[in-house]
Amino acid sequence: MSIRKIWSVQDIERAAFGDAGGVSRRGALKTLAAASATAAFGPFAFPRPARAEIGGSLQVMAWEGFDLTNELKDWRAKHGVTETVAAIGNQDDVQAKFIAGNPPTIDLAEYNQGYNHLYGDDLKIIRPLEMAKIPNYNAQDIFPGFYQQPSWYWNNTQYGIPWTWGLNSLVYNKTKMKAPASYSDLLAPDLKGKIALVDDTLATWPVAAAIAGFGPDRYPNLTHEEMAKVFDNLKAYRDNARVIALTYGDVISMFVSGEILAIFCGWSGIPVETAKQKVETAYVIPKEGATMWCDAWFTPISVGNPDTAYGFINEAISPTVQAQMAKAVTAGTVNKNAVALMDPDTRALFDYSDLDAVFKDAPLLGIPPRKSDTLATYSDWVDAWNQFKAG
Amino acid sequence: MEVTAAATEPRAPAGGETAGGETAGGKTAGREARPPGLPALRSRRWMVGPLLASPLAAFMILFFIVPSIVLFAYSFWIAESYHFEPALSLRNYQKAFLTPIFYSVTWTGIKIGAITALLSLLGSFPIAYYIVFKTRSNAILYIVVLTWFSSYLVRIYAWRTILGSNGLINSGLQSLGLIDQPLEFILFSPLAVVITLVHIFLPFALLLLVSALRDVKPEYLEAARDLGASFAKTLWRVVLPLTSTGVIGTFMFTFVLAAGDYVTPQLVGGRTGVTTGVLIADQFKKTGNWPLGSAMAFILLAVFLFAYFLVLQGFKLLRWTPRSRWH
Repeated sequence: MSIRKIWSVQDIERAAFGDAGGVSRRGALKTLAAASATAAFGPFAFPRPARAEIGGSLQVMAWEGFDLTNELKDWRAKHGVTETVAAIGNQDDVQAKFIAGNPPTIDLAEYNQGYNHLYGDDLKIIRPLEMAKIPNYNAQDIFPGFYQQPSWYWNNTQYGIPWTWGLNSLVYNKTKMKAPASYSDLLAPDLKGKIALVDDTLATWPVAAAIAGFGPDRYPNLTHEEMAKVFDNLKAYRDNARVIALTYGDVISMFVSGEILAIFCGWSGIPVETAKQKVETAYVIPKEGATMWCDAWFTPISVGNPDTAYGFINEAISPTVQAQMAKAVTAGTVNKNAVALMDPDTRALFDYSDLDAVFKDAPLLGIPPRKSDTLATYSDWVDAWNQFKAG
Repeated sequence: MEVTAAATEPRAPAGGETAGGETAGGKTAGREARPPGLPALRSRRWMVGPLLASPLAAFMILFFIVPSIVLFAYSFWIAESYHFEPALSLRNYQKAFLTPIFYSVTWTGIKIGAITALLSLLGSFPIAYYIVFKTRSNAILYIVVLTWFSSYLVRIYAWRTILGSNGLINSGLQSLGLIDQPLEFILFSPLAVVITLVHIFLPFALLLLVSALRDVKPEYLEAARDLGASFAKTLWRVVLPLTSTGVIGTFMFTFVLAAGDYVTPQLVGGRTGVTTGVLIADQFKKTGNWPLGSAMAFILLAVFLFAYFLVLQGFKLLRWTPRSRWH
């Protein structure tokens, strides 16, 4: 039987819709509506069938550079996993995906420790983890500060797996200025127009609060008056700043182009990136201290491939991958066994022999309360921050 | 064959054919009787326009009108920490109006939008005039439009490089000995935002103006000159009134896009980087207050409509809108 080469419109309609008299207007409209809805919302609204073993596609939301694309290459090849990554530019990008009614099918995403209760309790976008499928997360191998701590474990439930961390602190161009001993050194007249702040509220607000006298024992629970004092105090830095940079990538390009000599609150990865472009910057913790950030993997409620997500998390906190990750992004490890696998420079970034002291000097902090009658809420802080930025 | 025949027929009045091949105007008198079925085809001719427009109309209804209505409804709801409660409250509008920063950044956006639109219009009008009336070639148009082939972000970063402390302008001025220290006010300032936005929107303005000026017949310009009008008077009394729709459209199109842009101000504007768009985006992403974000968006829409009204009134005062119509 030869293949039919000539098709009339009626032939096509009959083939598509059967012999029941072609396409009715209502039927065509229904088909069109369904096709439009599928095209518009298909990638987001319809979950894939759940898999019961590691393999298949994995949708990941991760900070740029933190998606483990290189580190988990062998693992993906071994299990036939195809990873699709959506970059996070700001932690708020994550919840924005899940509150629109149709949560997208994302298997894995990251949350900063400050967002734990917002995601877990308020928005309820976290699916509790099945810990039997993440054996690498155990008390023997994980540093105590990252094992079943309140940022990731509450109500006897594990919501997130911490996997990378670092410190937010001052970064400066070491060839063009002296090492600052205090944040206030950035207010020197000869640095006017040579420093920058960054539009990263998670990093900047705690430091701004600390230099205004509200250390980790007070921040993020400040009254409206105290919050106002924080921003009033920060104005001097803004007035001495060239710009409030949009991202850390922007900060790096401004260090390289010579627009700025120091950033009020950067992170340990900046010197590595500027060094690649022949600009020597250094990361320093001034006397007022620094703050710690820690990102955790979580499986959203709309996870479509949970077993592969668990496999990914388990591999992400294995000693080898942790050591590779620490070097690649200049961050800290949560796995004790990874320290021995690091090169000396990466190992020297943090004092792994006394992590308790690191936690004490630079504690993990939350974000201002979502609701409060007496304290400044997160929304109040965002408004005040925008007001501050606009000057 | 039937379709071809129908297409060459003069338009018949609604109701189709009269007996003996006559239409109401009598223009087809004496023609042969049409084949059966043709009146049916003609009676459906009115459907051609709506059918052709329907894909775009459906798209706009589905992805603009409906979401806008939903957004408008949201603006009256009440929100607290990502939880929305249906209501009919003006609280969000009240809060937006009571937020001092909302005024200041909206005013900054309007100023940037107006200056950008004016400069784009003034910069592109002479080029458009030259392309339409002085040369038959579209080469200049293609060269200007060629800049679109580079990404929007690439163009912004290119301007950062040009305007930076060690950029092209500062290096050039320093090497010429005209300045000792880099001029730092040219980057991370409103000036930088306007320069970048004019570069981005000038090709848009040029295309719209070329299209508008091509509606002006050269014979009108010749007639004006024959009657003794100078170039300026011809421009003022003939060209601008005839192209007022295009000129207003170009200005408003550029104004709305520039005033609403929140990427360029953030990347090159320094403190000008906080725009109404940033405030609105923060309500949707950071604080989860969609109703307040929606209210701010509709206030901004009202501001843009008011600006359109003002521009239209300005044109009427200058007697540049000979035909009173809704553009």
